[in-house]
Amino acid sequence: MKRKEFLLQLIGELSNYLLEGMPRRVVLSVHQEADGIHISAMDDTPHSDQEVEVITHALQGEKRPELSGYYGHMIGHDLFSPARLELLGLQVKHGEVNRSENGIRIDILLGGEQFDSSNFELP
Amino acid sequence: MEKQERILYFMLSAVLVVSAAAAVLYQGASSAVQGFLLIQQHPARLINDYVQVGGGGGALLNAVSVAAISLALIWFVDVKLSGPTIAAFFTIMGFGLFGKTPLNILPIIIGVYIASKIAGKTFSEYILIALFGTALGPLATYIVVEFASVNSLLPSLILGTAGGIAAGIVLPAAAISMLHLHQGYNLYNMGFTCGFVGLFAAGLLEASGGNVAVQVVWFSGSDALMYWITPVLSGFLIIFGILLEKLWRTGNGRKRHVWKDLLLIQKRSGRLPDDFMDNVSNGGGLLNTGILGFLSWFYVIAVGGDFNGPVLGGILTIIGFGVFGKHIRNCIPVVAGVVVSCLIFGFSLSAPGPILAALFGTTLAPLAGEFGAHVGVAAGFIHLFMVVRTAAWHGGIDLYNNGFSGGLTAAMMFAVIEWYRSTRPDDFPRRRPEDVSEGG
Repeated sequence: MKRKEFLLQLIGELSNYLLEGMPRRVVLSVHQEADGIHISAMDDTPHSDQEVEVITHALQGEKRPELSGYYGHMIGHDLFSPARLELLGLQVKHGEVNRSENGIRIDILLGGEQFDSSNFELP
Repeated sequence: MEKQERILYFMLSAVLVVSAAAAVLYQGASSAVQGFLLIQQHPARLINDYVQVGGGGGALLNAVSVAAISLALIWFVDVKLSGPTIAAFFTIMGFGLFGKTPLNILPIIIGVYIASKIAGKTFSEYILIALFGTALGPLATYIVVEFASVNSLLPSLILGTAGGIAAGIVLPAAAISMLHLHQGYNLYNMGFTCGFVGLFAAGLLEASGGNVAVQVVWFSGSDALMYWITPVLSGFLIIFGILLEKLWRTGNGRKRHVWKDLLLIQKRSGRLPDDFMDNVSNGGGLLNTGILGFLSWFYVIAVGGDFNGPVLGGILTIIGFGVFGKHIRNCIPVVAGVVVSCLIFGFSLSAPGPILAALFGTTLAPLAGEFGAHVGVAAGFIHLFMVVRTAAWHGGIDLYNNGFSGGLTAAMMFAVIEWYRSTRPDDFPRRRPEDVSEGG
């Protein structure tokens, strides 16, 4: 239950971000393993280089337990305001953004302290 | 730990050492220590100005001691010394001038530590709740000092410590729920939380025969030490911020222009959690704190306010949040709203309530930063007439009464804004016929 709710909040914030661009198509994939989770989301909206840089900065920020354990709980709750990817970045083990054919693909990896995201196979 | 973070530790340690030295030189060592000891036995609920109780030197020694505890805790827990932790440091130091003591903050911190173990979290995840949660320190002092007149000291001491720990245990759960009510538009979320918990505590204490009526112990006039701390500290922060980026830039970091960074900070909303030092730069953040410090100081002078513990506490809190949500552009509308409200309702701008509302009311700055100056003015306007009522509700047990009132105001305004956004006609574009035929 705890994992499910947490995932829903992450997916909510991520979807909020992608849907802001009014895409025709959004594809969301969730892959759960015993020691980690991989969320992948793709859209078909053009994104500028600056936007990709902002997303990368938000997802690959420094780990801040004092922020994630407290303010991180706001993630996925306010869906009327612009999405806050920096909240997403606080919660994830690793995140990256790459350009797809028409839009972007955001990959998010989550796991415990023992989880090594570099060994995780992306589908 | 990065080079700049080590330098920031040095900077805050220097602030503590210089403040302690100033306290001793100003009042004399013996008198300052006596004042400090007197403060430990004095009620801590709002508003007990420690400058009136133990003199400027004694009050500053107390502020230094609680701030030193907070800095040591940040060090031991090994969280980054950055926007939120620096905000906590200066806020705790400020409230060490009117309500926090080393003895009354420790039970709260222990309680939050126990809560982290119950939740299976590391203490570092709850460190901000523990630091800002010390706003409930007066609860322990109330039970020990004010109940001591009817009970013997030892049971009161045990009961006070237990009460503080119990309050600390419930703080994380309440803090997270309160955050959802205003969604980060009230910077003093722990003030909102502690006010909420304080309602229950005040109810229990009153039912147990306690008197939780708010009393005001206020130093009238200007204590020279309280007067000069702000310009000296603000000047120091500005110079340090400039030097930090010029001389002690992190090896792999990009070259920063602090004045440009200051402008970048002004463009941010400040909505929680907005760490200016992380999101912009350390130097730009410190520059912002110093400028806010000077502006706050000028405001108090302009309205003819007293320079005492609570007023300096308000200025120090603004300085602290200058790296975590507050900047010139988002603070001014809120202060303007408080001023307009004072003028309309006939409050004196220099009276204790209004002057503290103007300083601490900047907790609502993110509303101005996100939705515009007009919303900030409205928030400040509402905040004034709310904050003069709310202290009585929790009996002054929550030192961050403006955070409590600010939370109520932010929650109400956010609810209205969200309602407006959600009920407006949908701007979802209608599909064109060719889109449908493509099967997209």
